[in-house]
Amino acid sequence: MLEIKNLTAKIDNKNIINDLNLKINPGEVHALMGPNGSGKSTLSNILSGKKGYETTGEIFYEKDNLLDLEIEERAHKGIFLAFQYPLEIPGVNNNNFLKTSVNAIRKANGEKEYDALEFLKIVKQKAKDLKFEENNLNRQLNVGFSGGEKKKNEILQMSILQPKLTILDETDSGLDIDALKVVSDGVNTLRNKKNSFLIITHYQRLLNYIKPDFVHVLKNGTIVKSGNFELALELENKGYEGI
Amino acid sequence: MKEFKMSNEKLEINEFFKKLGFKDDNINLRQKCMENFLKDGFPSKKHEDWKFFDFDKIILNEIPNLNFFNDAILKDLYYADKIQKLGFSIKEYNHIIFVNGFIQNIELNHEDQNKIEVIRNNSIDTVKNESLINLNNALSYDYIKLLVKDKYIFNKPLLILSFSNDLITNINFNSRIDIEMEKNSILSMADINFHNSKKNFFNLNKNIKLAEGSILKNYILDPFNNENLHYTNTKIDLEGNSVAENFILSSGSNFSKNEIICNLKEQYSSAFVNGIINLNNNKKHEIRTKISHLSENTKSYQLVKCALKDEAKAVYQGKIFVDQVAQKTDGYQSSKAVLLDKATEFNCKPELEIYADDVKCSHGSSSGNLDENKIFYLMTRGLNKLEAKKILLDGYFLEVIEKITDNEIKKITKILMGIK
Repeated sequence: MLEIKNLTAKIDNKNIINDLNLKINPGEVHALMGPNGSGKSTLSNILSGKKGYETTGEIFYEKDNLLDLEIEERAHKGIFLAFQYPLEIPGVNNNNFLKTSVNAIRKANGEKEYDALEFLKIVKQKAKDLKFEENNLNRQLNVGFSGGEKKKNEILQMSILQPKLTILDETDSGLDIDALKVVSDGVNTLRNKKNSFLIITHYQRLLNYIKPDFVHVLKNGTIVKSGNFELALELENKGYEGI
Repeated sequence: MKEFKMSNEKLEINEFFKKLGFKDDNINLRQKCMENFLKDGFPSKKHEDWKFFDFDKIILNEIPNLNFFNDAILKDLYYADKIQKLGFSIKEYNHIIFVNGFIQNIELNHEDQNKIEVIRNNSIDTVKNESLINLNNALSYDYIKLLVKDKYIFNKPLLILSFSNDLITNINFNSRIDIEMEKNSILSMADINFHNSKKNFFNLNKNIKLAEGSILKNYILDPFNNENLHYTNTKIDLEGNSVAENFILSSGSNFSKNEIICNLKEQYSSAFVNGIINLNNNKKHEIRTKISHLSENTKSYQLVKCALKDEAKAVYQGKIFVDQVAQKTDGYQSSKAVLLDKATEFNCKPELEIYADDVKCSHGSSSGNLDENKIFYLMTRGLNKLEAKKILLDGYFLEVIEKITDNEIKKITKILMGIK
């Protein structure tokens, strides 16, 4: 599904990603762990198309050369980034935005757009599953949401957009135990043979709820060690310095 | 100032109004107004109120062959077709329709006819020291004077719709609306421009008197691209406990200047001026306000938001005057601008002139660009860049639209702006 080959990325002439290689097959869950400043968020930004990076190397996503695709085209083709810090968008109704978003993606894929009633039914059910306050659907997008509500809203978007490749960028940070469980349930529901996940996190805690198939350690912009869930436990004991 | 043949204009005024059967007094006063206008010319940047847009130059550049007399013929414009495409039915509202500067239709069918009076008037005021008002006084006739009687509350908003067709060009239209609200009456009114014509100068004067406890909601909407020049001067006198709520959507015309003058003459009166200036190409729009707090415990609030593309220029001049007797005044004004392209320009001149010592007045202004991170966030959700920007701008403007307290007009405004 996703294959990153010899990726190097610079910003303001500073190397952030160095010769990174990673392959994610359909249905796999990969966890990417690493200390602050190791390049985790940069990688998620590059995968979702943020401008401003100088890159070399290749990224293939299904049949496409990912680096050739615009940000929204990546979304249309099923890539979803759950933001570490979801942005507040004043004046934009959360529910309307969700509908606009899902319909933009459906339209790009030649699918029939949801009408208001159809959508309302879907969004209400998903919100219920995620224990997301229905009131928050009618608030302005993320404006005045608590940290936990923002993260849940990202997961709500994910569960409505049904992406093929989801990148969770430190979705666990700032979540209490209950919210962590709800968010994990949301991810696990979407987990199947076709959908893949790249979970970026500092801590092993989230991985207790979403069991990864592979764990990678990112240091100085490159993967220094890969393994299975045991590696996450080892990191928890030894810290990044010990790897 | 272009060279006008003054004697000709005088002569023409004489003949024109004599033919219409106007009395000598009226004609003489019109002549004096015209003489004063011709002496002063169109306002140039030498006038403090016009320092940002030199109207004399703008009009010479845009309409070098301006014709002061409206010789446009009242034709069926198929404006009914245009109305059908609006997305709302005007039958549901009271409406007055202007076609090519003439009153075509007055329908206030939703109201108790004993409680309102619509008079077609042609009397004019004395000579003023503002040249565009003198021009309006000299040439506006057959204007509407609306009286809303004691305690009467309008059932439905009044829409004032102006149409002109693409054959109309180089004409100066002078029109006027007077409104008198008696005690505790309520009216909400929206002027909406639907001009298809090119290179005309529309000069509109509104004179509004609000008696004790009355409420007027005055909405001015210019949503559709047109190559005309618009100047609207709205003067509102407020008695005790009355409220003037103004909202301006300034977007369609090549040039537009809205001046709103509010005199808070008695206690507990309040004035609101909220505005959106949304421009592209090389449009030039201005909102200028002067709110005079002339009595104790009066309140004013102003919020203007701009978004400028291409080479558009916008100006907001907001003045709050507080008389020495106007203790406990509460005055607020704020303006914000989003500059979407490098060649755009936003000028803001806030002015506080305060002679009382127990007042609360504040002003603020800021300008910047759309947040790239927010654009990125929206694009990762499948929207293209244009859609993402539109959503952000709609959200930015929504704060001002939400200030519209008439829900029907709020809905119409959103339709006209293409906001879901």
